[in-house]
Amino acid sequence: MKTNAPSSTSLIWLIAALFLAAMPHFFYQPIWVSIIFVFGLVWRSSNIFFGFPLPKGNFDLMRVIQLSVGIIAIVCLFVTYGSTIGRDAGVAFLITMLGLKVTEIKNHRDYYLTTFLGYFVVITNFFFTQSMLMVMLMFVVVIVMTACLISINNPSNQLSAKKMTQLSSKMLVQAVPMMLVLFVLFPRIPGPLWGLPEDAHGTSPTGDFDRSSLLTDTAITGINNKMKLGHISRLIQSNEVAFRVQFEDEIPASEDLYWRGPVLWETDGNSWFEPDYEILEKRPKYYYSDEGYNYQVVLEPHNQHWLFALDLPSKLPDYSDAYLTNDVQLKSRTPINQRILYKVNSTTDYFLDNNVNFLLKLASNLPKGQHPKTVQLASEWRSFLPNDEDYIEHVLTYFNQQEFYYTLTPPKLSGDVIDQFLFESKRGFCEHYSASFTVLMRAAGIPTRIVAGYQGGEINPVSGDLVVRQRDAHAWTEVWLDDKGWTRVDPTAAVSARIESGMNEIMPPEMRSPALIAQNDFLRELWQNIEHNWDALDSLWDLWVLSYSSKLQLALLAKLGIDNPNWQKLAWLMGAFIFAVLIIMPLFVFSQRKPEDLLTKNYQLFCDKLKQASLLRSKHEGPLMFGERAMKTLPQHAQAIEDITTMYINLKYGKQSYPIDAFEQAVKKFKQVRF
Amino acid sequence: MQAVLKRLSNFGDKPRIYILPTKFGYLLAFILFVMLLGAINYSNSMAHLLVFLLVSLCHIAMLYTHKNIAKIKLKYASAEPVFMGESAQFNVVLDNQSDNDVYQVKLALKKASSAKQSWFSFLSGFENKNTLPHIQARQTATATVQRKPIKRGYQALGKVRISSHFPLGLFVSWTQFDSSDTVLVYPRPIGELPLPSSLGDGEQSISSSSPGHDDFAGFKKYRSGDPHHAIAWKSLAKNDVLRTKQFTTAQNQRCIIRWEDAQGYTEVRLSQLCKWLVEADKQQCSIRLELPKQIIDFGVGQQHLQSCLTALALYEN
Repeated sequence: MKTNAPSSTSLIWLIAALFLAAMPHFFYQPIWVSIIFVFGLVWRSSNIFFGFPLPKGNFDLMRVIQLSVGIIAIVCLFVTYGSTIGRDAGVAFLITMLGLKVTEIKNHRDYYLTTFLGYFVVITNFFFTQSMLMVMLMFVVVIVMTACLISINNPSNQLSAKKMTQLSSKMLVQAVPMMLVLFVLFPRIPGPLWGLPEDAHGTSPTGDFDRSSLLTDTAITGINNKMKLGHISRLIQSNEVAFRVQFEDEIPASEDLYWRGPVLWETDGNSWFEPDYEILEKRPKYYYSDEGYNYQVVLEPHNQHWLFALDLPSKLPDYSDAYLTNDVQLKSRTPINQRILYKVNSTTDYFLDNNVNFLLKLASNLPKGQHPKTVQLASEWRSFLPNDEDYIEHVLTYFNQQEFYYTLTPPKLSGDVIDQFLFESKRGFCEHYSASFTVLMRAAGIPTRIVAGYQGGEINPVSGDLVVRQRDAHAWTEVWLDDKGWTRVDPTAAVSARIESGMNEIMPPEMRSPALIAQNDFLRELWQNIEHNWDALDSLWDLWVLSYSSKLQLALLAKLGIDNPNWQKLAWLMGAFIFAVLIIMPLFVFSQRKPEDLLTKNYQLFCDKLKQASLLRSKHEGPLMFGERAMKTLPQHAQAIEDITTMYINLKYGKQSYPIDAFEQAVKKFKQVRF
Repeated sequence: MQAVLKRLSNFGDKPRIYILPTKFGYLLAFILFVMLLGAINYSNSMAHLLVFLLVSLCHIAMLYTHKNIAKIKLKYASAEPVFMGESAQFNVVLDNQSDNDVYQVKLALKKASSAKQSWFSFLSGFENKNTLPHIQARQTATATVQRKPIKRGYQALGKVRISSHFPLGLFVSWTQFDSSDTVLVYPRPIGELPLPSSLGDGEQSISSSSPGHDDFAGFKKYRSGDPHHAIAWKSLAKNDVLRTKQFTTAQNQRCIIRWEDAQGYTEVRLSQLCKWLVEADKQQCSIRLELPKQIIDFGVGQQHLQSCLTALALYEN
């Protein structure tokens, strides 16, 4: 009875495959996860190469070490995550335990189980990112992982590493048709089936420490319902896409692109936040005249409720959970935890009325006793500027003409932030300007509110989409004017060219592209070109592949001309296609290269080689005659020529069916000969 | 399309090929199900894609496992004669009739006695005997399998199962051949009685033999100059080697082995006779075997011993 232990070749394959599969996690996971995982792999490898002992038995020293590392892993897990439940903790648990499992693979069963768990590690990568690069990398990992299975079934190493990889790639490529049928037609069940852990969407907290530290609440990234001075300026360091917009007609000018998010009414002097009044759920009162813009938004998941839209959405989007609040926030009743697509119509020319008087009062509140200098300045100006619009004009001129600077890296403020900003630092970002402007307005009795969202965006020349990124995050204000309703005033526009030219233009080059190429115009342009193309491809990928859901599935069915699409019809269609694949695939798999074809091909190679020695086989010349002539011309290779000719004649005309390999080998060898 | 029709019309002639998932196949199926639940729960498109890729990989693996043995034929099996109680070494020649190399072909034999009978007993009760790691396209390969015969006489190899897990080990496909190739089984050489003395009661034997008679003593390889009438043409036809028959004048002791000298039931007697034959051959006696319906006259050498043993093996069989 032969031993059941996997060969060391198989183990090396498995170690390589697991390392590749888990590698992307090294970047997200805390360092101890990677260390323990690699520790397990290195331990096993040193056993293979240097005979280092493995744990065996119950009380052996190596077993004690292995168990201690396991216990350390679990302790670390609880310290970092509090439990083993949840996406990040689950992955950390899987990876560390898999690393230790590798040290104790004893038989085929262990080997198979570890390989299957390796496939599981591959799938966990997709819970973090589903980018095209990751998918390509994971396809390679699946090839190697499958080669592991071939390797365990190839105990006597009849197949070389190259052959195994070829076979595994070939099988996976042949698996693609059925995969596509299943992907398109397998009835998708809208998830989740059970409660998702809080970290289910978005990036991991540990690898991305910077960003998570500035988040309050549960937000992953992006706009928040609370604005603390200093928040948005850090957001702009992120190039992540917030959403992409496709306009049906022309794209409005950059200075008109105000994508509304949360509206902040209340303040404690330091930060601004959204009030929680039911009254705000009432529909707003507005009038508009123009046609407006029709566009489609693909919103990245942000685990919040806002559906960003341009100015005033005159029609609710076709997204079922959408509603409009009294302060014109377009929101979804459920948090956006996956990429969604919605169509909206917006108008930029509108009259936004007020139907709740209480809100005007709310928009005039200031915390008592704070910002004394600012309040004093406001009352001074107000005394000689009784007209609201004159007063606003004066404040904006003040921002514009005094020594105010727009900077992405404002100095840190302490104490009374508004007073300090207006009278001391004078360096700030949109949030500083909008907050201090609001204080100046409210101190003069003009109801004002802060609107957070995104401003501008970058047009991707390849796809024609407007791409709005986190760095386009912005905050502006709306003031109440009795004859004009709620009117947008952007104090940042008074100090910076950002609004007219867009964020991208005013950012220093080294923030837009990698530092190495930032200095060279040509390279920078090339970089941007690549970026645009990639982004266009990526958005198609997002839209058609990653967002493929039951909704798109049914839409596809409708497009195919099937009435009343439902999942039963989908299942029927899938069954039909799978049946077709089941019939067609065996024909591919079982089709054989005819040996004659190979024979002729190889003989042709032989003749081609002889052409180098000016030996041309004429049409009437049989292989035997040709061979004799060649032997006379090239006496030093007579033996090889005779062998090949004899083999060819036997294979072609003889009854013998000895392997064509020998013939192939002979021709191959002959081809390397130099005349 | 024609290929499909042709395949369907040939359906009945081919040996049936069975395929089932292995325990690892079931394990993967379970893991894939868990992965699918995860993909649904997180509404993750690429996770769906991976699950589907692996599902279709399983389908392809099934086809490959089938293909790996679909065109393997059992060409023939041969074995040297053995005594009862010994294992017969069958050289099983497998013929790969496809244009692809095949790997890891396992040979199994049906256990001699499968106690429990069930509906699927024709599928079970096989014991793995040997594995052929590689058979090249359009080539044959030989594997040795051992089988312990349970009866004397010509014993067929019987049901041979050819199976394979290759390439992924998720499926096992197998097919059966009922081989009628046989091994000759001599009786078990046991018995208490001493070899009948060739000298003591051997007057009859001495008188009945004519001195100077050339006894066939075996073969030797042909050398030029050997007389043509001595060439063993039959042996040439068997294995392509030219041999010459050797004759020696008997100088050895003579020994008559008689059915009557042994005692007991038929099988016991046969065992006793068999033992005597082996012993007599060891002492290089010239042996005469007398069975109730068959007499083999004096002779020496391997060939003679074999014909005597064969007579025992086939006695009343």
